[in-house]
Amino acid sequence: MAIWNREKDGPVTEAKVLDVLKRVQDPDLRKDIVSLGFIRNLKVDGGNVAFDLNLTTPACPVKDQMRDEAVALVKGLAGVQNVDVNMTAEVRSTPQMDRTALKGVKNIIAVGSGKGGVGKSTIAVNIAASLAAEGTAVGLLDGDIYGPTMPIMLGIDQPPKSINNRMIPQESAGLRFMSMGLLVKSDQPLIWRGPMAHRALQQCLFDVEWGNLDYLVVDLPPGTGDIHLTLAQQVPLTGAVIVSTPQDVGLRISMKTLRMFQQTRVPILGIVENMSYYICPHCNSRDYIFGEGGAKRAATELEIPFLGEVPLDLAIRQQSDAGAPIVVSRPESESAKTLREISRRVAAQVSIRAFSTLPVLEVE
Amino acid sequence: MASDATTPTKIKKLSPGELQILWADGHETRHLAPLLRGLCPCASCQDEMTGKRVILPLHIPDSLEFKKIELVGQYAVHFEFSDNHGTGIYSFEYLRELCRCPLCAR
Repeated sequence: MAIWNREKDGPVTEAKVLDVLKRVQDPDLRKDIVSLGFIRNLKVDGGNVAFDLNLTTPACPVKDQMRDEAVALVKGLAGVQNVDVNMTAEVRSTPQMDRTALKGVKNIIAVGSGKGGVGKSTIAVNIAASLAAEGTAVGLLDGDIYGPTMPIMLGIDQPPKSINNRMIPQESAGLRFMSMGLLVKSDQPLIWRGPMAHRALQQCLFDVEWGNLDYLVVDLPPGTGDIHLTLAQQVPLTGAVIVSTPQDVGLRISMKTLRMFQQTRVPILGIVENMSYYICPHCNSRDYIFGEGGAKRAATELEIPFLGEVPLDLAIRQQSDAGAPIVVSRPESESAKTLREISRRVAAQVSIRAFSTLPVLEVE
Repeated sequence: MASDATTPTKIKKLSPGELQILWADGHETRHLAPLLRGLCPCASCQDEMTGKRVILPLHIPDSLEFKKIELVGQYAVHFEFSDNHGTGIYSFEYLRELCRCPLCAR
């Protein structure tokens, strides 16, 4: 602690505290925490300093780092004896979300892939459950109208109740979810043309009583089609997460999905590589069955964030089939930790988007 | 693809038939409803396969007005005109491409 000379340095003031806190940068938003308005309820009482550090998400991947930095800097001020930081968070809303029919939803995250079978739904449900485990309000919409899997992965297949013609989402793993699979018997196929699928997605989106949500995760069907266009046109999507396997073929097809999002100006939050490697349950050695680092290279080339690698892990599949996402049912496992990390990176990217802008419309 | 030149910062209806768009690169575009209607990109106004125009600006009366203007997701604008036509989705790129100001017309 610095030696304090009251005559020379004068008392600790709020201005002095804010001045040193300006040196703490949010690495994602690339601005200092004072300009970003993160410092709230600053109190200076002699040598005691207390304030709230109000972040843009409780799932912030660098919150400990920012807190430690802030504490160290304020403690370095002459005359400061105690620093008390209260960590809070308030998820910011994507611009103009309040102008849509989904007023209570702050951010919509689409999860897509180029082809089927890359584990997109598994990643989507685990990202959603992870964000919920961080203490945020999360909804999950199974956008795969034709092949809904969420009822299996979340262990509920009872039809939703409805009040005043609005469906009440089912709850499982700490989140609210809606799926076509809740409305149609699981062995009954939906044989629909595009306009029907469009209408069904609209209903699952707008006719559901989501309540207030920090994040609504939408698990898209594979490829690029009606559902994707409906979503990109009906709501200002916060962004899209692309799931891919490391294999080149899988990746090239993912590029199509990526371009579709770019054409409709849906920001890309990043790529998740699934089935990155296989851990042998007997000897614990890693096998890169589909090649190593494919998605990471593509992400670097395309200058989009790489969100992480998820291994081919028997436990992930077993927990999904048993109706409880691994991040909830086995939170201590390596795979769960990896998925939690990925979801924090997604949350960080969403926070960046909340500070972006859409055109102002003055047409009345 | 998105760039400052194709990213609007403000879209304003100046009069029933005139629209102002301010772009992130500082450019300003003014669009008249009859011209936008005449160059509607929807499948009934231009052939889906050949791109040949079915409706042309010369088919549209000068008195045509905007009835409704709204954003489509975050990449386009949807207009409904006073002749009740409203199936066109005008991407930001298209709206910039159609700019007829002296600078762009050159």
